[in-house]
Amino acid sequence: MEIAESNSITNMQFEPETKPLTFRELSWRRFRRHKMAMAGAVMLALLVVYCFGGTLFLTEEYANFTDTKIILQPPSAEHPFGTDTVGRDILARTIYGGQISLLIGISAAMVGVLIGVLIGALAGYYGGLVDGILMRFTEAMFTIPQLFLLLVMAKYFAGKIPNVQVMGRSFSGSVILIVVIIGLTSWMYLARIVRADFLSLKEREFIVAANTIGTRNRAIIIRHILPNTMAPIIVAATLGVANAILSEAYISFLGLGVQAPTATWGNMLQVASSGFHKIQNAPWFWFFPGMFIVLTVLSINFLGDGLRDALDPTTVT
Amino acid sequence: MSRYVIRRLLQAIPLLFIISLVLFVLMRASGDPVATMGGRRVMRPEDRQRLARQLGLDKPIYTQYLYWLIGNDWATIDTDGDGEPDMPGDRRGVLRGELGKSLVSRGKEAWDIIWERLPNTLLLMIPAEIVIILFSLIVGIFSALRQYTLADNVITAISFIGYSMPIFFVALISMYLFSVKFKEWGLPFLPTVGMFDPKLGKTPSQVALHMVLPIFSMASISIAGYSRYVRSQMLETISQDYIRTARAKGLSERAVISGHALKNASLPLVTIIGLDIPLLLGGAIVTETIFAWPGMGRLFVDHVSRGDTPVVMGILMIIALAVVIFQLLTDILYAWLDPRIRYE
Amino acid sequence: MVIFAGASPATYNARKDMEEIVSRKIAKTLSILVVLAMLAVSLAACGTAEPEVVVETVVETVIETVEVEKEVEKTVVETVEVEKEVEKVVTATPAPTNKIATFAWTQEPDSMNWVYSNMWFSSILQQIFHCWAWEFDSDNAAFPRLLTEIPSMANGGVSEDGTVVTMNLRDDIVWSDGTPITADDFVFTYEMIMDPNNTVVSQYPYDALSGVEATDERTVVMTFAEPFAAWEAWFWRGVMPKHILEPVYEAEGSIDEAEWNLAPTVGCGPYDFVEWESGSYMRFVKNPNYWLGQPNIDEIYLQFVPDDASQTAALIAGDADLGTFPPISDVPILEAGGVEVMVQSSGYAEGWFFNFRDMASPGAQDVVVRQAIAMALDREAINSDLLLGLTHAPETLWDPLAGGMYVSPDIVPWSYDPEGAKALLEDNGYVDSDNDGIREDKDGNPLTLTHGTTIREIRQDNQAVTQQMLREIGIDMQIQSWDADLFFGSWADGSPAALGDVDIMEWSDSTAFPDPDHYYWLCSELPSDEYPWGANYFGCDEYLDGLFQEQLGMLDPDARTEVIREITKHMHENVYWLGIWDDPDMWIVGPRLTNVSFSGVTPFYTIMEWDIVE
Repeated sequence: MEIAESNSITNMQFEPETKPLTFRELSWRRFRRHKMAMAGAVMLALLVVYCFGGTLFLTEEYANFTDTKIILQPPSAEHPFGTDTVGRDILARTIYGGQISLLIGISAAMVGVLIGVLIGALAGYYGGLVDGILMRFTEAMFTIPQLFLLLVMAKYFAGKIPNVQVMGRSFSGSVILIVVIIGLTSWMYLARIVRADFLSLKEREFIVAANTIGTRNRAIIIRHILPNTMAPIIVAATLGVANAILSEAYISFLGLGVQAPTATWGNMLQVASSGFHKIQNAPWFWFFPGMFIVLTVLSINFLGDGLRDALDPTTVT
Repeated sequence: MSRYVIRRLLQAIPLLFIISLVLFVLMRASGDPVATMGGRRVMRPEDRQRLARQLGLDKPIYTQYLYWLIGNDWATIDTDGDGEPDMPGDRRGVLRGELGKSLVSRGKEAWDIIWERLPNTLLLMIPAEIVIILFSLIVGIFSALRQYTLADNVITAISFIGYSMPIFFVALISMYLFSVKFKEWGLPFLPTVGMFDPKLGKTPSQVALHMVLPIFSMASISIAGYSRYVRSQMLETISQDYIRTARAKGLSERAVISGHALKNASLPLVTIIGLDIPLLLGGAIVTETIFAWPGMGRLFVDHVSRGDTPVVMGILMIIALAVVIFQLLTDILYAWLDPRIRYE
Repeated sequence: MVIFAGASPATYNARKDMEEIVSRKIAKTLSILVVLAMLAVSLAACGTAEPEVVVETVVETVIETVEVEKEVEKTVVETVEVEKEVEKVVTATPAPTNKIATFAWTQEPDSMNWVYSNMWFSSILQQIFHCWAWEFDSDNAAFPRLLTEIPSMANGGVSEDGTVVTMNLRDDIVWSDGTPITADDFVFTYEMIMDPNNTVVSQYPYDALSGVEATDERTVVMTFAEPFAAWEAWFWRGVMPKHILEPVYEAEGSIDEAEWNLAPTVGCGPYDFVEWESGSYMRFVKNPNYWLGQPNIDEIYLQFVPDDASQTAALIAGDADLGTFPPISDVPILEAGGVEVMVQSSGYAEGWFFNFRDMASPGAQDVVVRQAIAMALDREAINSDLLLGLTHAPETLWDPLAGGMYVSPDIVPWSYDPEGAKALLEDNGYVDSDNDGIREDKDGNPLTLTHGTTIREIRQDNQAVTQQMLREIGIDMQIQSWDADLFFGSWADGSPAALGDVDIMEWSDSTAFPDPDHYYWLCSELPSDEYPWGANYFGCDEYLDGLFQEQLGMLDPDARTEVIREITKHMHENVYWLGIWDDPDMWIVGPRLTNVSFSGVTPFYTIMEWDIVE
């Protein structure tokens, strides 16, 4: 018996150890356990399929096809989501409008992240006067509430950007405008976080070492410090998409968002809220775009929550 | 401490200057306030020209900014259109306390217009803030204490949905449900829009009744967000060692929570809410528009679209000033509440 | 964020002390907040006590007036007692309840002085509390109000050469405070409008005058530099009270900031302005000194509602008796709710203004293309589907005036004929050579035109529908929209319309209604760097320019009508302006109001006869 046991113990000692999991694999495991985040990811994937895959079934011409004889029809077999004020099919418009809303969300978030990371990194790394100036500027932008800034900027740039043609489709110039101004008004929070991270990471030994051996500043920033600050950046980017979609909906509601002929979920809602008749008697008109916005933002929020947990397990939720 | 306060205040001054310059340039460069003065018709060229001159809109932007800042009673302006300056101006400028005259409601001081609407906004925002604080705390703590139970999950789900919704969607649905549909179904219903019913006058009960839906719309979204924050703070606090010690010492759960955990968990909430208050001054633009509340937010939207720079700049500078002051106050409050924090 | 570390009993006690401190501080803070909140609420509520006081005073006044009219010789002791006595004495007299009409306004006036406001929502109120020298009836024909008669060549009011107009004032006209209205008030009004220290919105048409004189208390003489045929339409749309405003002018050098502009307590109309609570309401009460008698309705309450949706809700619920410009889609439910929709032409028509200046697209400059466009639009469908048949498509800007008198009988309306449009384009060299659905001209340039308008919903809907109609005949119409103050800005402000970036501009406009004069197509009005205020965003047609200049100086109405007819014919043939729908005033009248009729120029000209039935 003893010999058998000692044999098995001895055997065990010579088995190779299993490889330790990398950070990525650990994060992915944690993420998978977060049920809501997975649900959010799935829902988001479905929405993307709806918006971009839907083009295989319904052409853009169909989405823009007006027929004044069937204005404001309730949902039916032919028009599952009903028709709008000029007889266009709402289902098709949610597909094409969704493309724009999602694209605006992603682009605006990217613009915001780019600016935020740039300013935060420069301020945190160089410190001193550069830090002082950039942080004062950040505070100045922070001081004005985002919606006010958006309104004033939307007014300033309005009409200065002509319609653009991309891939055979014509977009109102206001799409680019909205992306730019939402990006320009949403970078401040990330800049602060990135700066704080840079400030603390700058003093770590491996950075001091890199400096000592003469690595150029740009290389240090991009290849050494930045990868270690990815966690808040990713989370901020994800939630930034949700914020951008909501911001677009807000400005469109107030009339200064994306202009016709381009449809977005936001400006479909604006049109819907401008008549008592439509609120009360044509609820399909505002319900569907609103529902899509809520679903998208919800799934992104779930996703972001899950990402935050997965990438930074010290936070408690 | 006082040195810190003074330093912050001094830092705020160039900040406010930068903000005012950027915003002024944006405002003046976008749209022509004279263009919409024609009402239903387009303005006649002669009138456009005359009004642009009389209102000082034909000067270069930096001159206009200068006049806005320090007035033009030290300069002569051309009043009768012959190209020669003849009379000193009559504006004293923002730094001397005069926000200027509105371009839209000519004859009215921008400050008077803003002052008419400011109390209405405060009337909506302060109770809303109190509701938000109270309910965020209640819901967040309740949710934290019942972590992972059905109640917690339901509340979490509702919170997520809540702050994923655009505010006008919430407002519209609540208006649709509680005003239109309740009335249809014969239930007691809430009024739709406005601050009070004109036939009944501006009585406190009328105003209170009309406040319910707007406050509900704004609060529900904020509560959804803040209750999650309180919950996470609470969970973090509860997992602390000293709470474990307190429990080990035999204190009742209630004493542990209310006596120890609660205070520490709610501390960071103070910071966040303190920073939120000046944003509320912006008047929750969308809420006021939907519910026709005569506040500063609606004033802003109306006057931005008509290019009324003095009023718009006035509102923006008031908000900027409020933000700076409240940020400072919050920092001081936080230091006062938590004696371990020291500023030098 | 602070993290508490350590778990020894010593630290625990230290924590406990600190927590007590913190909890006391939090309690203090919360109580301060609550007190502040209560203060804020009570402040707001306090500031509103005053309106209630005003209401009570008014009620008393009304009851006293009733007493006087019945000639019941009883001293007014207490308000309560008077009411009771009136009920006993009553034979055929109505119960003394206040008749209050509530109007729902979706826009709040910026000023109550008409020279400072071009807002329709302000100027139409003038008939309620103020007075014009003459007003206009439902056919938009002038009738005298302050004058004894409308001056004309026949009665000698207008001189032979048309440069002198003499007005005779009535004897009984008084301001609401009892002061007589005299010719001096007219002269004062002219002086104030022309004074460079007053930032009035428009000096039209007073800048055509060379002088105004009060030859005696009841006679005003206007002198023109040149004969001005459009004088009857726009002069003396209000008179300012000299005894109120002159002191202000002398003290401040300008009447820009006169209190009277925002609180015109002294007026000369059937009602007195009583109060204006900004953002909420305005109140008018019967004017006891009105020389034409007393109106039926005792009080008019003007409530400011934020948007169309709440206006509709107010009318259906009976909270308001009158509204304006309902959204088209609300009309069926309004009618179902017992609210009447009344339509009154005021000269406005929504149309496409074509840009044929040098910088416009070659397609827009070609009359053939414009004619094809006119044939390609199914304007009837637009009017019947988008506007629920409440309007129809006008052919010229002069259609709504004087029953169409100014429209040339030779005009044949453009009918919906897409095949004809296609044929017209084909015959003139516009062929789709690359089969992309868009025609190209002889040089191979695609037939692309830009269409611009403001962001109003109905216009954007129209853009979508018409874009499709034009695509069917092979024209590519690019659509854009801007905020009104950008679109209508000047050349100097970079307005796209002024700069000529837009080929087809859509908005609603009128002539100098009720006069047929217009200045848009004058060649002298082309905007440029030297003249950035120019209003001619369209183009210079020498022949048309000559006609417009000629008609303004023609005082013989028949000759003038002939010239204008020629204008309409020329413009219609060349499709300089294409009418889409006419834009009348739309009133929604609740079931409580009776005897209601409107005018296009002075909507409330019969306000005295309106009545309320419960």
